[in-house]
Amino acid sequence: MIPSDHFTRFYNEVFKFLESQGESALEAYWLAISGNQERHILELIQTQGLAGMYEYWSHIKIEENCDMDLDFNEDRLELRMNVCPSLSKVMDNDAEPMERYCDHCAGWIGPIMDKTGYHMVYDVIDRKKPQCVTRIFKDPAKARAAEKDAKLLMGWPGHKVG
Amino acid sequence: MTDRSSPMRYEEDGNVHLDFHGAANTTIDFIVERFGVAAMDEIFKKVGRDVYASIRQDLLDGDTHQLVRHWRHFFDREGGDYDIAIGDDEIVLTVRLCPAWHHVKGLVGSVSPHFCDQTSRTNEAMAEGSPYAIDTEITGEGSCRQVIRRRA
Repeated sequence: MIPSDHFTRFYNEVFKFLESQGESALEAYWLAISGNQERHILELIQTQGLAGMYEYWSHIKIEENCDMDLDFNEDRLELRMNVCPSLSKVMDNDAEPMERYCDHCAGWIGPIMDKTGYHMVYDVIDRKKPQCVTRIFKDPAKARAAEKDAKLLMGWPGHKVG
Repeated sequence: MTDRSSPMRYEEDGNVHLDFHGAANTTIDFIVERFGVAAMDEIFKKVGRDVYASIRQDLLDGDTHQLVRHWRHFFDREGGDYDIAIGDDEIVLTVRLCPAWHHVKGLVGSVSPHFCDQTSRTNEAMAEGSPYAIDTEITGEGSCRQVIRRRA
């Protein structure tokens, strides 16, 4: 058993292999993970919208030991990751971190937002620092306005940026 | 050789997120379907060689202590049903209920036929070139026997 605590280091090895196979292999994988994650979050979004997302990430914050602030109001949900446990473990690793490790998060969340009619602005800030800010809006105009403040805006399959 | 009183190289604490095993199952199916079993095996071997470099170095130095601590620590954290018998000639980990396998079974109903390869291939890679062999025998659904023995 690779312990669940070590999943992210396994994930990192998978990303390195897929990157060697080309961008389309990575994107196909993120979509497969996105499909896997739907069983945990899709119904919450479809039935409760932003409140359902808040419920999901409140649970994740505890279970994955995230140092994260969640700010929820009627217009948007903001996830401010102060210390990401996933990237932190990948950096505290005897194996080499994949340089684009952070891309997977947008890679699985983005397609679910597209599917449910929400608009995500995912600011990685710096791929070498375990912190990021994700904002999710119902109103696309508010999302586009928020993109202007991002330091390193991340896209996902079907939603390229830059 | 690592200091036996110091923390292991990776000694996580806090809460446990067992749903990662579901993502691992999806990953194994994805890689095997598109790239074949050999590609999946190579990824597991890299985990054994590179991620678990500290355990591997101990095995190369003739020390099994960190691997046995690793088994105890993470099977305890995840609520596995297991025991470890340390004998003169071999160390046997008997897993009666693997928390990873059973969590995936509960989540998705079926587990990848290659799910337990993560254990077999990672064990083999950690032990490669060391005085030890680690054999993994799958004894049933979500159960196995892992044996560390000195090579002949």
